[in-house]
Amino acid sequence: MKTSFPHMGCVTGYKKLLEKLGHEVIMPDPPSQKTMELGVKYSPEFICFPFKVMMGTYIECAQKGAELIVSSGGAGPCRAGMYPDVHQKVLSELGFNTRVVVFDSMFQDFHAFYEKVKTVKNGTPNRKLLGLALFCYILIKKMDKLEKRMKILRAYEINQGDYSKAWKDIVKMFEKCETIRDVNRTYKRAVDIFEAIPRREVKENQRIRVGIVGEIYVIMEPTVNKNVEEILNNLGVEVENVQYISDWVEHNIMPKWLPFPKSHRVFRMSDKVAPLNCGGHDKENMGWVHDFARRGFDGVVHLMPFACLPELVNLGKFPAISEELNMPIMSLSLDEQMGEAHVKTRLEAFTDLIKSKHYAKQKASIGDTIGSAAQSAARKAHSKAQEVKDNLKTAPAAPIKQHAK
Amino acid sequence: MKIGIPRALLFQFYYPLWRSLFERLGCEVVISDQSTKNLVQKGIAVTVPEICFPIKIYNGHVINLIEKEVDYIFCPRFVHIEKGYWFCPKYIGLPELVEKTIPEAKLLTIDIDCRREDTADLKCYLPIAKKLGIPSRKFKDALKGAISDFETFRGLCIRGLTLDEAAEVMFEGKKFEDFKIPRSETTIGLLGYIYNVYDPFISMNIIKKLRELDVNVITFDMIEPAMLLKHRSEETRRIFWTFPDKLYQAATVMIKDMNVQGLIHITAFGCGPDSIVGKEIEHDYADSGVPFMTLRIDEHTGESHLQTRIEAFTDMIKRKIRKVNER
Repeated sequence: MKTSFPHMGCVTGYKKLLEKLGHEVIMPDPPSQKTMELGVKYSPEFICFPFKVMMGTYIECAQKGAELIVSSGGAGPCRAGMYPDVHQKVLSELGFNTRVVVFDSMFQDFHAFYEKVKTVKNGTPNRKLLGLALFCYILIKKMDKLEKRMKILRAYEINQGDYSKAWKDIVKMFEKCETIRDVNRTYKRAVDIFEAIPRREVKENQRIRVGIVGEIYVIMEPTVNKNVEEILNNLGVEVENVQYISDWVEHNIMPKWLPFPKSHRVFRMSDKVAPLNCGGHDKENMGWVHDFARRGFDGVVHLMPFACLPELVNLGKFPAISEELNMPIMSLSLDEQMGEAHVKTRLEAFTDLIKSKHYAKQKASIGDTIGSAAQSAARKAHSKAQEVKDNLKTAPAAPIKQHAK
Repeated sequence: MKIGIPRALLFQFYYPLWRSLFERLGCEVVISDQSTKNLVQKGIAVTVPEICFPIKIYNGHVINLIEKEVDYIFCPRFVHIEKGYWFCPKYIGLPELVEKTIPEAKLLTIDIDCRREDTADLKCYLPIAKKLGIPSRKFKDALKGAISDFETFRGLCIRGLTLDEAAEVMFEGKKFEDFKIPRSETTIGLLGYIYNVYDPFISMNIIKKLRELDVNVITFDMIEPAMLLKHRSEETRRIFWTFPDKLYQAATVMIKDMNVQGLIHITAFGCGPDSIVGKEIEHDYADSGVPFMTLRIDEHTGESHLQTRIEAFTDMIKRKIRKVNER
């Protein structure tokens, strides 16, 4: 069957999995301006931006002949849970014979989940399916790990564009992997490639670090968020993104009471300001903001689609939280009207701000250490002098007099 | 003790319950003024610009209550009132949202996470007793009384009164017979949440305007609960928000069983669930032959705009009926 999926995060992994299950994969293109326009045209007017982009991607895939589109769903109060229904309705209104299959959480309704697995697995035996899933998970995990590393190293590259170019080659290398051993070998090679790229040396206290939080689709898809991460890297800022597909899978599969993965702990860090999760990733994001502040990050960039319900709740709280934590937070709400120049200008201004804040803090802390050293020295000298004085006072005066006599 | 209740969001629906409860507990209930331009502007000034209009109005009412010097502002967090059905994320984050935007507000918050429509689960409301220092036995009795008052109120609604009229019967000594419910040929279903239909600033008294045009108006709160959920099992994928689902079910019942001649969907700018529910209704009943109109309202909407559109809509429906009768 001709199968496709939305373009989000590490698409190599999904492609591999579907190919191994015997589907003919129709690779979705990274969303372009044209995709967005197509999506906007056929979507409800006030629906959130990811829906529109995905709608555009689906229509493009359906035009290429996709019969099945696989995606993930939700049952919370976030609108994402209603996507598949509306997507399906729009697709059938347009006359496409495409089915949208959505995997909801398997803990809620395992039977329905398994029915959907059956349609997608194409008669593959369960044991083999598990093996394939594990392989794809490891592949995605390794690629995500490399991507995380790239977003730190790319800030210090000497020839701009080296890392992005290397990353494209690495993705191609991973696409050729067939076994877990291949994946591990490719991973090692990729690490070597990364290390070989010339970088400038930076002292530990001069690293500027920024965290990225926000709605999962817009922070994972660089074409939708106008390459926020690369722009920041090019400005010499390290970036840490909070969402990756492998992390998301771990967060949803592991029981919530376990202390790992880290997102579980982070989830609980925001209990005071957000006692309940409002549907999307808002509580987790609030936790990450606290986590970034604790780890001494210089700022946070908050990305959200226009009128995203859960992130709006966060947006309303951020001015107060930012003041409380003494950390700048910049919110960008993205939609189809957003231009790259706008994002770039705002990020440049934000970077200038956090850099000057970083250095001012450092100066102040150096000043503080000198000041406190001088103070403690003075205190010591003072106490010594006092001691000497006391000694002089308590020293028997009489014998001296005797000597004098 | 003065307890303030903002006249916004779900106020009109739960007002009898809350007022009855707090009065039975011996508190003075203060309700914020009707929404006016001035009051709404104050809310808009403090709230994030991107958020939906009703939340801005809510903040305006909270500021109004602070000016009235109440001791506590009652701001419940709605999560569930039915298994598997949620409230919009903004309701879930509402108390913190208000606290962070208006730091002076002293909120009395409870989590409503229960399985009944009147929300009056003792477990949910008990934190009030703790905070106000009321013995739980006394609180239990008060809650029981409030529940029976709420039932009377809902009964009045189902007999055809609007929420405002029913509240007047409950608390201002009017009688059911005082309100003439117009019986005209044309019936229009008005789909919209409590705050969209009953807040005069958002709806600009749309019910009154429609009745003046000699049209019967049905809203979802006038439909009996059992009847409302009649067609629920026929859906493809359930709409997992409580009130949006009610709206969708109401549209279904109105079209299939009540033979309405037209549907008006009134929605506030930036409403998330409505963007989906509106589309679903539009898609699912495209072939039903019932005209469907969406009115989107924000702080810039003018009254004449609304008047013109509903007049045109009712004219169209009446002409259609005339034509059918002539044949």
